Amino acid sequence: MGRLGYLGGQMPRRPDPGRRRIVAMSGIAMAALVVIVCQLWYLQVLEGGRFQEASDKNRIRIRPIAAPRGILFDRKGLPLVDNRPAFTLSLIPRELERDQTRRDATLGRLAALLRIPYADLQDAVSRVSPDSILPVRVRRGLTMDDVARVEEWKLELPGVIVEVEPQRAYPNSRFAAHLLGYVREASDEQLRQGRYRRGDMVGQTGLERLLDEFLRGKDGGERIEVDAMGRQVRMIQSTEPHPGAQVVTTVDRRIQEVAERAMEGKAGSVVVMDPRNGDVLAMVSTPAFEIDRFTGSIDRGAWLRVIQDPDHPLLNRTIQSQYPPGSVFKLVVAAAGLQEGTLVPGDRVQCAGEFHLGNWTFKDWKKEGHGSVDLMRGIRDSCDVFFYTAGLKIGAPAIVKYANAFGFGSATGIDLGAEKFGLIPHPRGSRKGAATVWHAGETVNISIGQGAVLVTPMQVARFMSAIANGGVLWKPRLVQRIERPDKGLVWADSGSVNGHVELSPMVWAFLRQSLWAVVNDGGTGGAARIPGLDIAGKTGTAQTVANSKSSKGQDHAWFAAFGPVKDPEVVVVVIVERGGHGGEVAAPIARQIFNAIFFEKVASIELDG
Amino acid sequence: MVGIDRRLLQNVDWPLLGATVGLVILSASTLASLQVGRAGGGVALRQLAWFGVGVLALVTVASLDYRRLVRVAPLLYGLGLAGLVAVFLIGRTVSGARRWLMVGPLSVQPSELFKLCFVLMAVWFLTSRWAQPVGKAVLLMSAPLAAIPAVLILKQPDLGTALLLFPVLIVLLVAAGMPMRLLGGLVLAGVAAAPVAWLVLKEYQRERILVFLDPFRDPLGSAYNVIQAKIAIGSGQLLGKGVAGATQSRLAFLPERHTDFIFAVFAETWGFVGCLVLLICYALLLLRGFDIAASTREPVGRLVALGVTALVATQVLVNVGMVTGLVPVVGIPLPFMSYGGSSMVVSMMALGLLLSVRMRQFQ
Repeated sequence: MGRLGYLGGQMPRRPDPGRRRIVAMSGIAMAALVVIVCQLWYLQVLEGGRFQEASDKNRIRIRPIAAPRGILFDRKGLPLVDNRPAFTLSLIPRELERDQTRRDATLGRLAALLRIPYADLQDAVSRVSPDSILPVRVRRGLTMDDVARVEEWKLELPGVIVEVEPQRAYPNSRFAAHLLGYVREASDEQLRQGRYRRGDMVGQTGLERLLDEFLRGKDGGERIEVDAMGRQVRMIQSTEPHPGAQVVTTVDRRIQEVAERAMEGKAGSVVVMDPRNGDVLAMVSTPAFEIDRFTGSIDRGAWLRVIQDPDHPLLNRTIQSQYPPGSVFKLVVAAAGLQEGTLVPGDRVQCAGEFHLGNWTFKDWKKEGHGSVDLMRGIRDSCDVFFYTAGLKIGAPAIVKYANAFGFGSATGIDLGAEKFGLIPHPRGSRKGAATVWHAGETVNISIGQGAVLVTPMQVARFMSAIANGGVLWKPRLVQRIERPDKGLVWADSGSVNGHVELSPMVWAFLRQSLWAVVNDGGTGGAARIPGLDIAGKTGTAQTVANSKSSKGQDHAWFAAFGPVKDPEVVVVVIVERGGHGGEVAAPIARQIFNAIFFEKVASIELDG
Repeated sequence: MVGIDRRLLQNVDWPLLGATVGLVILSASTLASLQVGRAGGGVALRQLAWFGVGVLALVTVASLDYRRLVRVAPLLYGLGLAGLVAVFLIGRTVSGARRWLMVGPLSVQPSELFKLCFVLMAVWFLTSRWAQPVGKAVLLMSAPLAAIPAVLILKQPDLGTALLLFPVLIVLLVAAGMPMRLLGGLVLAGVAAAPVAWLVLKEYQRERILVFLDPFRDPLGSAYNVIQAKIAIGSGQLLGKGVAGATQSRLAFLPERHTDFIFAVFAETWGFVGCLVLLICYALLLLRGFDIAASTREPVGRLVALGVTALVATQVLVNVGMVTGLVPVVGIPLPFMSYGGSSMVVSMMALGLLLSVRMRQFQ
């Protein structure tokens, strides 16, 4: 019966259980369709918005357009540093192969193609989320050959792009290296502070670091629609990058170049300052590092070589090196004595080349002595014996008081960081009390700028400026103004005074007269003399603690000068480390610089105009 | 018998054909929007050409008396098996699967054609005198009918088509009067056999099941299809993005978008409302199929009608189910929608069988 019941329903009246089963199956199929409709309702209507976002994220890529870094100009509008387009290799994690082995194959291919360590690429990729659509910059400064090779293999390198980024370009490889500072990818330390993204270019030293937030522009970007292969289908939106602000510095590019050329092959520094407002016209520290090699991807070998160089090329000697001032300091002693009345221009000392104090003998730099010396001659010929005697008469407290007044022992306030303060000893011993006893011998030593006294070249420049301008201590100014292309002036510095030295006009006049004599009246600075230009200056030969058998000796050669004497416009301070006598080594360099400033000016203006 | 007389024509099931034509139009327009193939729209035109071939096949099959076809079912089944073995020996391999036989310029998928042979064979067996009443013995005897070709198809590998044979067989057994407790036993046996099946499955097939259970297990690897399909469907929202806006499909984020995942393309383009229209077409088609089976009292015709209806129903439900994330991903085309000549012609032939039964219902 079962057979007929299910399969043999020929007779209409018989019950048809097979039919019931088929109707039930039909019901099950329809129920399944209803479940599918419910799922579609859930996906499309309830969750539709979320999936819409996911779909947009799929098809939209963001390609950043790097903003050019702001340009630094000199005081006449010449660029100190510029930008040029450079090629950067980037990986877009979201667009790399999804399969681990195939992704590794892509990276391996890329490493072989460009001779980049494979581990570097792996490392770069592993640091970011695989879902990120922002490019990871793995190598800057690709050559045209590299770019051509990547483009040629483009289809085999999904997720690999070459971006065009503006990169720093310098007039020459060491130009104003310490002043400008180098720009490099944010270090791990800087990334931890959270202000930068990986691969951001950040000013690391000098003005680039000081003004980084102004110089950095705001990157623009393009939103493009791509297909599943990552090929661009169309542009959806494009945001222009905002270039960084333009900085007008106080530096004169021509003077900077002349000073750098004059210092070539020597270790030391030059500061050129305008005594009327504290503008730093040039700032040279040698040896310099090759600033252009620091920009872009780091060459580890070059970096190590620079760091381990015994001449410390990274050190900005103008503000970070402290030297004994040598005879330059005699001006402080003279100023102190004249103003306090413990010294008068007519005081005479018989110099026989030696000075005795107790059991101690202090030698003059000139073995045979200077004979009978008054103050003017003492300065002109830099007679040590005269100042030993004068220093004892004036006393250490007065010398220290005037040294401090002239800004020694404290910061000049220049905006660049990491400035050293120099050292002016305290005659009443250490602050803790009686532990240290001040000996008269120390007074004798500091009277000629030796002993415990240490100064930086920038401090000396400010000091010379004060003598030139009658006692105003300007804060050295490096930046005149900062302008944004869209907003105009955003920052300006009209210069500020952060110290004042009160001496009677007679004393100022006497000091200037003596300094003129140093250069123009048979003094130690005769090598700086330029006919037709009245330069006033003071030489210094600073003995260092260690003695050496080298022919050049261990003495630092100083020359600090200003000119023209009547109405000083420029202060030039030169120090050559282990150079020898200031008058022989440093003064000729200063002369070259003065010459360039005052006598090559006309030609230069014609060229600039 | 090839000639069709007026009486037969009066019984042609127009709603069934109407739903089919509707589906084919939706398929061609969806394929046209994808611009897959050499010249844009090439796939759509070829799908329409295959539909034309399918119409001929449908008319031919419908004009034949299904009873004669069932009578020669063992022969057809044998030929089908031979085709599967041939694939195994000399088949063409496309992206790791050996599923095609080259017949002149055409590549034919014997496993598609085999589905119909299988239905006819199962009906032949269940209506034969050895199969009464349908009990445990018949169940065991019929199992190899599905299992032997399933193994061959699984080896291609084509898990979807291989698994398809079993529900169709069970549907036929149930309709033929198999006691329900046996069905229950079968379900229990299936559950018990699952761990064994796990071992038999290929690595990527296991991965698909794991991914079904947890799509974010490996979002960029094997779950990519599932996630991209869900994104495509979901982002279609209520009214769809239209042809131009369907970025998931147009920009090729969807894999297999003109074949197994075509439903996701459709859902992205036309949204929930479009999906309702599409599913209503399928519902109409299936309801007609079930109705023809239910209203046919002649046992062979009833089982043939039910068999092909079950074949289409299972494919539709599993395909849409997997694309919407309701069931694990197995490669099964969506009848009439997915691009593919074999699938189209075989689906049309299935309709031809259904019409053949329908037209002779009241003889």
